[in-house]
Amino acid sequence: MSGHGAEIVTLPKINPADAIPADKLVFTAEEKAQLQEYKSRYPEAEGAVMRGLWFAQEKFGFLPPEVIRLVADELGIEYARAYGVATFYTQYYKQKMGKYVLDVCTCFSCQVCGGYDMLHHLEEKLGIKPGETTDDGLFSIQGVECLGACGSAPMLQVTNGPYVFNLTEDKLDALVDSLRSGKMPPFTSVTLPQDEEEMGGNRRSDAAAVATYQTPPVAGAVE
Amino acid sequence: MEQKKVESNAGNWKEYTRVLLPPVRDLHRLDVYEKQGGYSALRSVLKGDKWDPKSVGDAVKSSGLRGRGGAAFNAGLKWSFMPPVDERPRYLCCNGDESEPGTFKDRQLMEYNPHLVFEGILIAAYSMSITTTFIYVRGEYADWIKHMEGELKKAYDKGFVGKNIMGTDFSTDIVIHKGAGAYICGEETSLMESLEGKRAYPRSKPPFPAAYGVFGMPTTINNVETLACVPLIIDRGADWFAGIGAKTHAGPLLYGISGHVNRPGVYEYPSGMLMTDLIYDVCKGMRGGKKLKAVVPGGSSTPVLRADMIEGVCMDSDSLRAVGSMLGTGGMLVMDEDTDMVKWLRRVSHFYHHESCGQCTPCREGTGWLEDLVGKIDDGEGNLRDLDILIDLCYQMEGRTVCALADAAAWPVRYTIDRFRSEFEAKCRASHVATGDLQIA
Repeated sequence: MSGHGAEIVTLPKINPADAIPADKLVFTAEEKAQLQEYKSRYPEAEGAVMRGLWFAQEKFGFLPPEVIRLVADELGIEYARAYGVATFYTQYYKQKMGKYVLDVCTCFSCQVCGGYDMLHHLEEKLGIKPGETTDDGLFSIQGVECLGACGSAPMLQVTNGPYVFNLTEDKLDALVDSLRSGKMPPFTSVTLPQDEEEMGGNRRSDAAAVATYQTPPVAGAVE
Repeated sequence: MEQKKVESNAGNWKEYTRVLLPPVRDLHRLDVYEKQGGYSALRSVLKGDKWDPKSVGDAVKSSGLRGRGGAAFNAGLKWSFMPPVDERPRYLCCNGDESEPGTFKDRQLMEYNPHLVFEGILIAAYSMSITTTFIYVRGEYADWIKHMEGELKKAYDKGFVGKNIMGTDFSTDIVIHKGAGAYICGEETSLMESLEGKRAYPRSKPPFPAAYGVFGMPTTINNVETLACVPLIIDRGADWFAGIGAKTHAGPLLYGISGHVNRPGVYEYPSGMLMTDLIYDVCKGMRGGKKLKAVVPGGSSTPVLRADMIEGVCMDSDSLRAVGSMLGTGGMLVMDEDTDMVKWLRRVSHFYHHESCGQCTPCREGTGWLEDLVGKIDDGEGNLRDLDILIDLCYQMEGRTVCALADAAAWPVRYTIDRFRSEFEAKCRASHVATGDLQIA
C-alpha cells in the first residue's frame, strides 16, 4: 500500500500551450530594481526568495521551473534553493491556474458552518472538482486550510487576494457572475461585534466596502 | 442538580474598557493614533529619564504579560534570555503567521491598530537593542500586508522607525515578510527558517533562538498581540496590567469565537472570562437555540471539552489546564448538538496531515495514519480495536519530533476519542476481532 507521508509535491507536467515563450521570460529593468529592493531588506539574499517568487507569480501567473530559475538568477541564489521554497509553500502555483482561483475554506470552523456545502455548490455550478480548472480558463476551485477568518465562516479567498465572508449559495452565485464580468470583490472590513454597540459598527472610513458585523446564515449540515 | 459556584477571573467584565482595539474610528491611521496618545509610550521610553532598556524589560516581566501565541510564556522573561549586546546584529520576529485553525484575532489588530503593534515592536527593540524586526505575516493576508506596509511607511516618514528615531541615537528597522501558506511557519524555529528563504523545517532546540536565531543571530520571537500589549504596560504601568483579568494570566485578551453561536467574532475582554459567559452572554447564545455539545478553547490543537466540562471554567491557562485543556491562542470553536464529532475529528486530522512539514518520521507518517484510521471509522469500516490503535499511535507521536506539530496532531485525536468515545464506538463494527480475516483450516 502507499505510504502515509506528507504529500510529496511532484511538479505537475506543464501543458505545452501554457509554456511561457522565451522572449516573455524576462524581467524589465524596473522589475529587476524591485527585486533588488526586496533583496536589500534582508541580511542574506536568500531571505528575499519568498517575495521574489510572489513577485514572479504575479507577473507570470504561475511558477514553472524556468520562472523559478529566473528569480534565483536575479537574486543571485542557488536554483535548488528557490525550487525547494517554491514547492514547499501551498500558495505558489506550480501549474497554470484559472484566472480566478476560488479557495474555499473547509477547515474546522468553516466545516461546521457549512464550508463543504459552499465548495460543493461551486463544484456543481462550475462543473469542476477541487483542483481543476474550467475549460474557458476562468475558474479554478480548491478546498483549503484555515484562512484565519473563522468568525465569518464559511468564507473563501479569490486568487490569494480579497476575502469573501459569510458565504451563502446566493452570494456565491453573485460572486461568480461578477467575476465573469471581470469585477473582483471589494476589500471587506469585518468589524468587532463590540464595535456595533460602541460605534455603530463602522471602524474605517477609507475601506472600499465596510461590512459591519452581521449574523451569519444558519449553519448548513456538517459534512 | 447541585448549583456549582461560578466565579469569573475576569472581574467586572461588563464595565471593561477596551485598550487593544478601542472604539475609535480610523484608529489605523497614524494621525488618529497619535491623537489618541499613540507613540507617547515610545517617546517616554526614548526621551524621558524614567526608562532604560533593562527597566522596560523588567516592567514587562512584572506585568505578568504572557505570550498570546499559544505557549503563554512570560514575555519579559523571554526578552531577558537575549545575550549581552556585542557587535552582531540582533533580531526580533513578530509572529503574525496566525494559522492555527480557529484563530483570527491578530488580523484584527493588524487592520485596526497596526501602529500599536509597531510601537510595541519599537519599545521591545529598544529594550533588547534590536537591529531589525521582521513581521512575519501569512501570505493569505495579502490585503492586510499591503495595508500594514502603507502604515509602516508613514511611521518611517514621521521618523518613528528607522534611523535616529525621534531624534535620539536609537535606530531600528521593521521589515514585513510575506509568507506563502504553511501552518508550520507559526512555529518559531520554522518561522526563522522561512525568513532565511528555506523550506520551513523546524530546528532542534537547543540552541534556543536567543543564542542562535534567524540568520544565526540572537533573536526573540513574540506574537502580534503580545507586542501590542507592550505600549499599554509602559503607558499605564505594570501594576495596572497585572490587575486586569486572571491573576496568573494577566491583561486584556482577544477572544476569537467561531462556530455555532449567534454572534461569532473577535472580542476584547479581560483574560479569565467564564466560557459560559462568552458563549451565552457575549455571543448571545447558541444558534437556533440548539444545545451546546463541545468547545475547543484555543485553536485546533487544544483538547476539546464536552459541554458538561465547561461549567465554571475560566479562559486562562491555569483554569483550562485544571480541566484538561489549554488556552492556546484564545480562538474558541463552539459546536452544537448536531455536530458529528467523528467527521469533525477527521477534518482536524486531515489538516495536520496536510500541514506536517515531513521532516520527522513519527509526524510525517503518523498524521497520515491518524487521518486514515479516523476516516475508516467515519466510513463505518472501523472496529473497536482501531480506537486502541489510534491511542497507541498518539503515544508514538507525542514528544518524539523536532517540533510540537506531532503533539498538536495527536492531542485532538486522543482527547476527542476519550471525551466522545461512545460516538466513535457507535460508528465502529461491534467485534474486537476482524473475524472475517481468520483462516480456519
